[in-house]
Amino acid sequence: MKMQRSDEWLNTSQNEPRGYIQPQKLDELWFHTGTNCNLRCPFCFEGSKPGDNRIEFLTLKEARGFIDEALELGVKKFSFTGGEPFVNPEFIQILDYALEHRPCLVLTNATEPLMNQIGEVLPLRDKPNPLNFRVSLDHPDPVKHDESRGRGNFRKALDTLGRLHRGGFGVSIARQMLTDEDSDTVDQAYAPYFENAGVPANLLIIKFPEFHLPGSLPQVAEITESCMTRFISPEQRATFMCSFSKMIVKKNGQCGVYACTLVDDVENYDLGNTLHDAMKQRVLLGHHRCYSCFAGGASCSEGS
Amino acid sequence: MNTLTVLNVIFITDELFELQVERGDVQFEPGACVALFNNGDESRPYSIAAGSEEDILRFLIRRVPNGLVSDWLAQRKPGDLVQASAPFGWFRPGRSVNGERSIFIATGTGIAPFLSYLRSYPLQIPELCLYGVRRLEEGFNLKELQNLYNFRLALSQEEVSSHFHGRVTGLLELIPLATDIHYYLCGLDTMIDETSKWLEDHGVAYTQIHREIFFYEDATL
Ligand SMILES: Cc1cc2nc3c(=O)[nH]c(=O)nc-3n(C[C@H](O)[C@H](O)[C@H](O)COP(=O)(O)OP(=O)(O)OC[C@H]3O[C@@H](n4cnc5c(N)ncnc54)[C@H](O)[C@@H]3O)c2cc1C
Ligand code: SF4
Repeated sequence: MKMQRSDEWLNTSQNEPRGYIQPQKLDELWFHTGTNCNLRCPFCFEGSKPGDNRIEFLTLKEARGFIDEALELGVKKFSFTGGEPFVNPEFIQILDYALEHRPCLVLTNATEPLMNQIGEVLPLRDKPNPLNFRVSLDHPDPVKHDESRGRGNFRKALDTLGRLHRGGFGVSIARQMLTDEDSDTVDQAYAPYFENAGVPANLLIIKFPEFHLPGSLPQVAEITESCMTRFISPEQRATFMCSFSKMIVKKNGQCGVYACTLVDDVENYDLGNTLHDAMKQRVLLGHHRCYSCFAGGASCSEGS
Repeated sequence: MNTLTVLNVIFITDELFELQVERGDVQFEPGACVALFNNGDESRPYSIAAGSEEDILRFLIRRVPNGLVSDWLAQRKPGDLVQASAPFGWFRPGRSVNGERSIFIATGTGIAPFLSYLRSYPLQIPELCLYGVRRLEEGFNLKELQNLYNFRLALSQEEVSSHFHGRVTGLLELIPLATDIHYYLCGLDTMIDETSKWLEDHGVAYTQIHREIFFYEDATL
């Protein structure tokens, strides 16, 4: 389904033109591998859980088509998120194909689905392009992490992080950012765990603000065209994820190209069935998560 | 999503039961689970215990006191309907059909994926199958399992002649060690942690060890 251009969508509730991003280039293509996940974290902004199929498993055939099209558009890297990507039965084959062409990043909870298949993952270090893993370690405190992710999962994720690093892959972690936190202190609290896992003390830590559950409607300020031109420079606009990336999402048996990694719960952000079409479309900043990008520069990307 | 009709709910003790449902057109590999739903929105994964050629699906379930899903499933009657996801999974003892040598170690309902494998590939017998339960009455499908020449049962809370008395981890010394064997562990977290550590300490590569945790020891279960 393509983005609808109703007045309500084009304008804010105050009837001002809604702010937008005109995509500039396709540096990064994300794939959503499916909302099926071995865990069921209550905060999951994808609403993922075991057996869930709001977003269906992407197949190798489907992924290949978009990888080939993205290469024509000059893509620089491929990234994968879920759910838990390693729950998707064709994921390792998809990754294998993507790594033939470009560097790849995988977001993972680094528990049983990856642990059980690590024997098939390790040979991927010999592919022509590098593979990086971003492991979720929500808090520098196993008890807090396990409260939502389930018992023992901090320990497993940390152990897998170390094994991936020793296996020759690039690693980073993703954590939750609390309002009013002292970010440096929180980051530093990971040091003993990193040492324990044998990973570098200065490991990249990606911080995520609260994104809210799919379909939720938290009250955030609306972004108008005038906000985007008065407060945000063209250089800043170019750093919005929807300016340089897209995400492939499969729903009801069909793959669509979504504006970015954060808006797959709203059909208005399905920009069509091909990357060529999607890159021509303006992305209207009407999702509550767009406000995170506007206000805080939220980004799932790690740079190339 | 599949809607499956309940055929039977067979209790082997007050808290352990086999749920049998119509198969419909569900296709699966041994080791797969499906998410079963209660009458609301809650779902939990349960491993399929049936063979891949059987006409019905079987699940071996432990009823958790006030558990949102297991308790609801325990109260089903023949003819009731249960919602189920498509099968999925990351624990595949079935991979051994390629001629891999394998060892199975289970506690409690954790025997389900191994029963599914043994029923699907009756000629592909693991080198050893260790099964731990608290008391003899808690063992699922023991007659079927005891037909395997290399099956050992451990009873942690009961002494019965011809069975090992103690936790299943008391039998680890029986496990053959070789670089080409795959070790599949399913059930309680402490058994899986202890066995994984023992295997790694004895030189087994991490990549040969496969785990599926159903339950946690330090819960009030
Ligand atoms: C991949 C996978 C496959 C599984 N297969 C099976 C199976 O074949 N048979 C089977 O009986 N179970 C299986 N389980 C466990 C099952 O999914 C549920 O966790 C279990 O039935 C409890 O769910 P509930 O809704 O009844 O209880 P809940 O409402 O979730 O929990 C009630 C209380 O019980 C405790 N509790 C719940 N679940 C657990 C747990 N797993 N460990 C420790 N404490 C807990 C908690 O204190 C909780 O507050 C499997 C789990 C996984 C991850
Ligand atoms: S592990 Fe990630 S995708 Fe899975 S439920 Fe938790 S937050 Fe969601």
